[in-house]
Amino acid sequence: MLVSIGVMVFLYAPIVVLVIFSFNDSRYPGAWHGWTLRWYRQLLEAQSVEARDIWRATRNTLSVAFCATAISMVFGTMAAWAMHRFKTRLQSAHQMLVYAPLVVPDILMGISLLMLFVNMSVNLGLTTIIIAHTTFCISYVALVVLGRLQDFDHTLVDAARDLGANGFSVCWRILLPLLGPGIAAGGLLAFTLSVDDFVITFFTAGPGSTTLPVQVYSMMRHGTPTLINALSVIFIIITFSVVIFSQRILQKRDTTHPHI
Amino acid sequence: MNQRKWREWAISLPSMGWLVFFFVLPTLLVCSIAFRPRSINGGIGEGWTFGTWLDVLQPSYPLVVWRTLWLSAATTVICLLLAVPVAYWLARLSREARNWMLLLIILPFWTNFLIRVFAWWSLLHSEGWLKHTLVWMGVASPDTQLLYNEWAVLLVLVYTYIPFAILPLFASAEKFDFGLLDAARDLGAGKLRAFMSVFIPGISQGMITAFVVVFIPALGSYAIPEIVGGPQSEMIGNKIAQKVFVDRNLPHASALATLLALVVLLPVIYSIITQRKQKRTGGTKRQ
Amino acid sequence: MTVKVSTIKLLSGLAIGAAALLFSACSKATPELHIYNWSDYFAEDTIRAFEAKYNCRVIYDVFESNEAMYAKLKAGATGYDVVFPTSYQAYMMENEGMIEDLDLSKIPNAANIDPKFLKTVALDQHLRYSIPYMSGTTGIALIADKVGDYEQSWNIYDRADLKGRITLLNDYREVLGAALKYLGYSLNTTNPAYVAEAGEVVKRWKANIAKFASDEYKPGIASGEFYVVQGYSGDIMQVMDEAAEDTQIDYFLPKEGFSFWADDMVIMKDAPNKDLAYAFINFMHDPQVAANNMEFTNYWAPNAAAYELIPTELLENPMVFLSDEQMEKGEQIIPLGDKDRIYMDVWSKVKSEE
Repeated sequence: MLVSIGVMVFLYAPIVVLVIFSFNDSRYPGAWHGWTLRWYRQLLEAQSVEARDIWRATRNTLSVAFCATAISMVFGTMAAWAMHRFKTRLQSAHQMLVYAPLVVPDILMGISLLMLFVNMSVNLGLTTIIIAHTTFCISYVALVVLGRLQDFDHTLVDAARDLGANGFSVCWRILLPLLGPGIAAGGLLAFTLSVDDFVITFFTAGPGSTTLPVQVYSMMRHGTPTLINALSVIFIIITFSVVIFSQRILQKRDTTHPHI
Repeated sequence: MNQRKWREWAISLPSMGWLVFFFVLPTLLVCSIAFRPRSINGGIGEGWTFGTWLDVLQPSYPLVVWRTLWLSAATTVICLLLAVPVAYWLARLSREARNWMLLLIILPFWTNFLIRVFAWWSLLHSEGWLKHTLVWMGVASPDTQLLYNEWAVLLVLVYTYIPFAILPLFASAEKFDFGLLDAARDLGAGKLRAFMSVFIPGISQGMITAFVVVFIPALGSYAIPEIVGGPQSEMIGNKIAQKVFVDRNLPHASALATLLALVVLLPVIYSIITQRKQKRTGGTKRQ
Repeated sequence: MTVKVSTIKLLSGLAIGAAALLFSACSKATPELHIYNWSDYFAEDTIRAFEAKYNCRVIYDVFESNEAMYAKLKAGATGYDVVFPTSYQAYMMENEGMIEDLDLSKIPNAANIDPKFLKTVALDQHLRYSIPYMSGTTGIALIADKVGDYEQSWNIYDRADLKGRITLLNDYREVLGAALKYLGYSLNTTNPAYVAEAGEVVKRWKANIAKFASDEYKPGIASGEFYVVQGYSGDIMQVMDEAAEDTQIDYFLPKEGFSFWADDMVIMKDAPNKDLAYAFINFMHDPQVAANNMEFTNYWAPNAAAYELIPTELLENPMVFLSDEQMEKGEQIIPLGDKDRIYMDVWSKVKSEE
């Protein structure tokens, strides 16, 4: 019990310091120089070059995350369905293929994708980042959906077939709705991982296609590190709101629509 | 049968095709580049050679490899040591309290990874309040640097990977039958003995998962040693990045990457082989 | 079937979101200029003034070292219009056929360039492929009261009492060059024995430093994190202005010798927007713009017309405009062709070994 409290303190300490120091009247971390709101003002007014770069990086991050999530949700769900439904040698190979990116450290994926792009003389840019992110997201989506499929009740599919539904109908009216939450959960995981990714993006990014983590990294080295604190607080507030909001929705759905 | 086969292929093709082209192919490419020489202007030269591998087996690299291994191992051990009591405590809470506590534990990790490393960088800053407090307490001198050494790297590694340890351990602990602990106590075992001999083996599956999801990614760390580490605490990841981005020696970087891949694959291959052996001999191992 | 509806809504929402973001990120209503440069290298409003004058967007990507920039460009990061390599790197890039030969008729302001600079410092004297941007020196900066008495020498890196509070640049020519100068050799020597000796010296220094830092030394010394840093003259002067009132930062050029350099502007052969690139380079040598940049960055922009527009303190500042005797002690880093390998190999060893 004591250990748990210690761990919680350990987990929250840097976040708390991060929030407090976002009000520090100093460009650099370190000593405390007094309270100020100027970093928030600078960010929200988006006039300075630094602030503009941050918002551009944020837009890039979100575009990449949306695209990578969309593609990986489709491919990952199909992969999960194939692995669950068919028990052949092909699927064993498929399984190894899907699980491999989960174990491989990102720096390996980063360097191998960079080498691929260099070899194929492909220009680095947002597209290459999207491709890179999709590659590791597929595995996560497949994993989550596969987990849901294992609790899936196949008799529903058989019943629909008996009643005359064809393959497409079964897919659209039965599978997708029931797997919906699982796919959404996988998509959410993929989205989070894409937004969080630093190493792979660092290797495969091109001109003008900086994402938020890469921008934060360069701001730590030259620029105004305290802006990062203010930015993080804004993001924490947004994330917390989204989480609480979605919890409310899920709870509402639970009570008004019982599980099938 | 034919139609079924066709359907299976159609559904599997997108993900398999994508992963083969963007995962397997690049990995093989990296392995092959490791056998090519470096061209003068920093690209990939013609022909094949073992020269790059001879370069890599220099006397200085084993140090980096050793450091990578021990930092990852230390991170894993510390994470496990901290996560097991937490998982135990969580599993014993009521369902509602448990959900809230899980949410509380996961919440800090909803902040961006790099921002969390940045938070530690500013916390450990030599002019920061933590350093000043330590000086005031007499534990540190005004000139000490908390950053840019192996301990800072270890600290931030543990911080980053602890949730990866807590989650699988908790998943295992949730399924654990706590009645067994009571039974052990009835039979006369002390609290600690019961914990060690009954609980720990009971969550062994979780522990194995936790070990794998912490140790393996930790081996490939790049950002953490780059930001809070110093020149004496570099890991393989830093070396690979340096070879690619600064020294522009792509074959050398590829050789290092292949080495890392081998180190990562070995435990995986080992576990696949032992699992196959288990299936063949049939049944579970005796505890 | 509400579950189904909400899943559809989720998917379509995602699709629309993705399309909208991609569209906004890709829409090229205004022309864009991509610059790849060192950090903090323009006056506050230079970029904005250019954007306003030419009705375009400027995207300013940053690199920390010539090698990192070169590696990124070679790895396929195309799409940059104007890049700012140091002269020796520009020479190497020209040899590789990466940059465009300049059409000087599109850069009328090039007439403003200081002829003395072209004769004495410039590697590309006839402005065939590059236009000089700024020139400066690499020396040592320190926080006076943390260091106590010191000699104006590279041996400050041997001081064990400063362990963990000092940094060197993450640049193989600058660092090995510093060691070579300390040992009394030229920093452009091609003698492998000398370079190896320099490598041993750097290994000795490495035990005392906190990091190899080409960029972080600026916030580092400004916040008091580092006491002694190897850095570039103008950047140090910028930091002096920004540091806390009670921190006194000194900059000196070590007596054994130092490096001076010039950064040039080049246009990439595969630049997407060559017209804007020419306009930008021309804009940089507009006398008022050059003067503004000089005042902000504290470097020497070799633009004769701008000398009249800058305050006298800057004109007389020895950190910016070196006297001839000082220039004697300095040496410019020149490209070494395939002998460059010698330095690279020693640097690799230095970085890996203890």
